[in-house]
Amino acid sequence: MIQISGLRKKYHQHWVLNDASLHVAAGEVAVLLGPSGSGKSTLLRTINGLESFDAGSIRVDTIVLPAGPSAARIEPLQLIRRRVGMVFQQFNLFPHRSVLDNIIEAPRFVLGENKHSATEFALTLLERVGLKDKASAWPASLSGGQQQRVAIARALAMKPDVLLFDEPTSALDPSMTAEVTRVITDLAAAGQTMIVVTHGMEFAKSVASRVHLLNHGQIVESAAATQFFENPQHPATRAFLQETRHGQSQEVRK
Amino acid sequence: MTNGLTWILLWAVLWIGCTQSAAAQDALDQIRQRGVLVWGADQEGGGPFVYPDPSNPDLRVGFEVDLADYLAKALGVTAEFKQGQWDKLPDLLDRGDIDIVLNGYEWTPSRAARFGTSIPYYVFELQLVGRTNDDTLRTWQDVLQPPAGKKKRIAVLGGSAAQDYLDQNFADQVDVISYDGATDALRGVELGLDGLDANLQDLPVWTFFQQGFPQLHAIDQAVPGGYYVVLTRKSDERLLAEINSAVLLGLQDGSLRSIFAKYRMWNATQTARGLEVDQQGGFVGDQASLVPEANAADGVEDFRAVRGWEVVKQRGWLLVRAASMTALLSVIAMPLAITIGLIMTLTRLFGPRWLSWLAVAYIELVRGTPLVLQLYVIFFLLPEIGISVSAFVAAILGLAINYSAYEAEIYRAGIQSIPKGQWEAATALGMSRNLTIRRIIVPQATRLVIPPMTNDFIALFKDTAVCSVITVVELSKEYYIHARSTGAIVELGLVTAVLYLAMSYPLSIVAARLERRLQRERRS
Repeated sequence: MIQISGLRKKYHQHWVLNDASLHVAAGEVAVLLGPSGSGKSTLLRTINGLESFDAGSIRVDTIVLPAGPSAARIEPLQLIRRRVGMVFQQFNLFPHRSVLDNIIEAPRFVLGENKHSATEFALTLLERVGLKDKASAWPASLSGGQQQRVAIARALAMKPDVLLFDEPTSALDPSMTAEVTRVITDLAAAGQTMIVVTHGMEFAKSVASRVHLLNHGQIVESAAATQFFENPQHPATRAFLQETRHGQSQEVRK
Repeated sequence: MTNGLTWILLWAVLWIGCTQSAAAQDALDQIRQRGVLVWGADQEGGGPFVYPDPSNPDLRVGFEVDLADYLAKALGVTAEFKQGQWDKLPDLLDRGDIDIVLNGYEWTPSRAARFGTSIPYYVFELQLVGRTNDDTLRTWQDVLQPPAGKKKRIAVLGGSAAQDYLDQNFADQVDVISYDGATDALRGVELGLDGLDANLQDLPVWTFFQQGFPQLHAIDQAVPGGYYVVLTRKSDERLLAEINSAVLLGLQDGSLRSIFAKYRMWNATQTARGLEVDQQGGFVGDQASLVPEANAADGVEDFRAVRGWEVVKQRGWLLVRAASMTALLSVIAMPLAITIGLIMTLTRLFGPRWLSWLAVAYIELVRGTPLVLQLYVIFFLLPEIGISVSAFVAAILGLAINYSAYEAEIYRAGIQSIPKGQWEAATALGMSRNLTIRRIIVPQATRLVIPPMTNDFIALFKDTAVCSVITVVELSKEYYIHARSTGAIVELGLVTAVLYLAMSYPLSIVAARLERRLQRERRS
């Protein structure tokens, strides 16, 4: 479904992405792990063009996105964005639109659907994320967890082939993490192709079919989830896992 | 290249020249054709020239009103009054909005060089006026050699013959203080404002207003002043000739004498011109027989002060009517300003580089020049290149353009304060840049800019007063006209203030309500 090959990106004399390659098959849930600053978010955001890259290529299904800046990127990006949805750490709901209007905005004005059918589909999505009663609420009146579930519904309204999650639970209180995690797990069970950048190891374990470790802008280990956690191969993976375990146990003691 | 440009310029000059002379040549014919002589004056200048009729403030009286009727009749047409800011009347003449200026304009060499100046319809003198109880000022001698050794402070109408007279003759002996209105200067002396000792005034003005200022009196004899003349466009020679012969005839047959006598303006100086002739064309000397003084006294027009509740009842509704002009200008100009401002800011932020540069230039140019200048350019200078708009349209355009620069900057701040995440969310959903701007960014920015824009709306609303320079009579101008013609500065001032407040306060309330509604969007 998604094939990233030899991606390089330089930012302030520093290679944020340094020959990063990644393959995600249809129906797979790929989790990107790695220390802070390893380039996880950047890699994720190159897929739908929120970040450009200097060398390498990205293929989504049959659409090829070349390195940029280039006029040749405009058309493939348009196609990719219709098929790839994204959920942000800070939700980024449109504060001047109701929950329902947030969800039907893109189907109506990007895909040209009529309001009635867009609304109908939006309501089934809201039911799916457990917020049907909040359709007419303003985003600012919702909790963080609720906002993130609306953001997921909004991304799903475009019926995307792939969903990108950029640290979807990092901005949430632990008490709200569960409700968002549950929605994502449900999506995984339904066969939705997803790429998830996260710091949450438990979350990673619960949804991932494959896990990839980024280190200094490069994917150094890609493995099935169980294999990755139980039998890591690369020294960087072992160091990373050790450190997060240590950090988490510290957090638990707190 | 240079050659081509020269040709274009040459053609432009020729074209402008042609249209102007074509319009000019036929001025007299045009007047006769339409049957109307349009004369320009400023009611704010007040009596005895032109001022609202005390018994029907919608009409005008004054010796120049009678004079205009007389001149029109001599041309075989009727007179039509056109209100203009006094110092801008020559520009109205250039623009072609009026046929003549008839408003106490004195003859000067520079005016004679630029305009057609008629033979004087009145020879005016200057009168020094001081406080009756001021013993230090009894004669001109006291002015020239002040007893206490302290220079006298003399108020004059700015740019008037009185100012020239003092500047030329006594620049070292007196302090000349320039005032905006004749009655303001008189009141200033009466109250001793700003250390004022005296006022040097056109004699007819003093004669007209003296009843309203019982604590003031004339000092010494009047001194030579100058000539009130009619201005025409330089090229309208036939019109000027007709006016000259009408003035001459009026002086001879006593028509002008009867007009001036009504305002107690007829005096020895007029007679000394020796222009009166009898029906056979013989000079009649200074016989009072043509207009017996007794009869003239019946119809004497004087300054009539109207004060208190009376003036509010009589003139209040005129202020209300003028307030509707203020409101109309504001509610049309502001939405236009916001629209232009938004377009400019979007061009600046998102347009191609050269367009963006143009938008910046527009914003800086408009922001860096005063509104009064912009109005002036639109109304008086654009006709030079063939674009002529009515005063009302010019006022709307001027206000809209002036405020568009400020709205553009407000909108820019609003748009730039929308978090990057909003752009990213819209982009990730496949929305194009234009769609994102239109449906996500601008609507959110609009909510942010409502408070500063409400401020600007109120500022624009008050700036409509500036439009009086291009003949639009709105609330402030109407106030000055009636305050000066009645002396009811305080009463009408209060009414005017209440009217302004009555219009701006609801605006603040609406804005506050809007804001609250949007806050609900953000919170509950």
